[in-house]
Amino acid sequence: MTIDTDDRTIDQALQRRLIEAVAQSMIGHAEELTRLDQAIGDGDHGLNMRRGFEAVLADIDALAAQPLPLSLRAIGTCLVLKVGGASGPLYGTLFLTLGKEMPDVPHPADAARALGAAIAAVMSRGKSQPGQKTMLDVLAPVHAELLEGGEDLAARLKARARAAAAATVPMRAQRGRASFLGDRSIGHMDPGARSAWLMIEAVCDVLGG
Amino acid sequence: MFWEAELANVGIVIVSHSPKIAEGAADMVRQMVGSSVRVAHTGGNPEGGLGTDVTAILAAIDKAWSDAGVAIFVDLGGAETNSEMAIEMLDDKRRGRVVMCNAPIVEGAVIAATEASGGSPLETVKRAAEELTPEA
Amino acid sequence: MPDSFITASAQLTNAVGLHARPSVRLTQLAKSFAAQVEVALVPEGPWVDAKSPVRIMRVKAPMGSVLHFRARGADAAAALVSLVGLVKRRFDEDEDASLEGTARG
Repeated sequence: MTIDTDDRTIDQALQRRLIEAVAQSMIGHAEELTRLDQAIGDGDHGLNMRRGFEAVLADIDALAAQPLPLSLRAIGTCLVLKVGGASGPLYGTLFLTLGKEMPDVPHPADAARALGAAIAAVMSRGKSQPGQKTMLDVLAPVHAELLEGGEDLAARLKARARAAAAATVPMRAQRGRASFLGDRSIGHMDPGARSAWLMIEAVCDVLGG
Repeated sequence: MFWEAELANVGIVIVSHSPKIAEGAADMVRQMVGSSVRVAHTGGNPEGGLGTDVTAILAAIDKAWSDAGVAIFVDLGGAETNSEMAIEMLDDKRRGRVVMCNAPIVEGAVIAATEASGGSPLETVKRAAEELTPEA
Repeated sequence: MPDSFITASAQLTNAVGLHARPSVRLTQLAKSFAAQVEVALVPEGPWVDAKSPVRIMRVKAPMGSVLHFRARGADAAAALVSLVGLVKRRFDEDEDASLEGTARG
């Protein structure tokens, strides 16, 4: 998968499409994310993500015009300030760290490294790790797939994200509000896992062509 | 001048998921401890529902600001992490002078304000409030 | 050799006893003195630090109980006089009640 048309920055139009795709997915799926979060959380994931990504969309011109790392950092800051709840700090940290680690024109190996660092930062922020029924349970497997590199990456990442999100359904929550439900959290997809899957899917759909 | 005393005392910030709880806790602190300690509060998301908002937390820190520092009291998870984010967004000079206290939100804020009203430094204020929390 | 303690006592006559706001007032006043100041419900103790809001709030002495104070240090006598005065003035609560009455209007 090639994403550079210029050696120094990725194509602005492409960057814009990526940001729009992710934002529109979050906004479009806000009700579903709310429903998932009502089942095992405090019911605000959809509302929070929509608020955050509406703010991202409102700033899309500036975000598309900046080099990718700065854009990612600006998205991260926007999410921290606008999302709130449990996911604001987590997704904010994810994007801020991606912005710190991503080069101007990333190849898959760069993206893998940046995602690895971003996952570590989220783990530290949320004092969590994979296996506890959170967004990490999608991000970590996707990272593993990305590290393998190779052909057909976009399709594989999408499939991996979908399978990983589905795998959270039988898990017992050990973090956040859902963890207070104990066994009652079993049988529901984690809302953070769903939103992470949606983001991966949005990015892969744009990049996969 | 009385406001100089206020500036010299550690300030208190209350962050709750609920705007009513935040306001009520701040009212209780002021009623019990008086006006020699700056108290600011924030609660709720931008729509007025339950939640926490980093921008509002930053504004509260600014409102309660004292060169002696600020002690933050939170209720549940999101209030804590969003307050952490707010602290990280402060400038270098202020960041080191803001602490989050592991204490019940109302009682902790009252104890902290009591301690602060005597001119105690930030670390002492935090420690006094955290006496309320049994060690794990 | 440290000074020895001097002692004094006063009976709680305010309605709520050593409840939250009186506790706050007591500790604020105690902190304004350099002396070591302690409180107990009986002369033998146990004695708690009068400058610690958490400890004083846990005493929870009701109206009618006697608060025993002891202090030592340079301004110990002044500390005891002030603290006994505060208890006798019912922690200035009556003043607050009338202030609140006007403020709420």
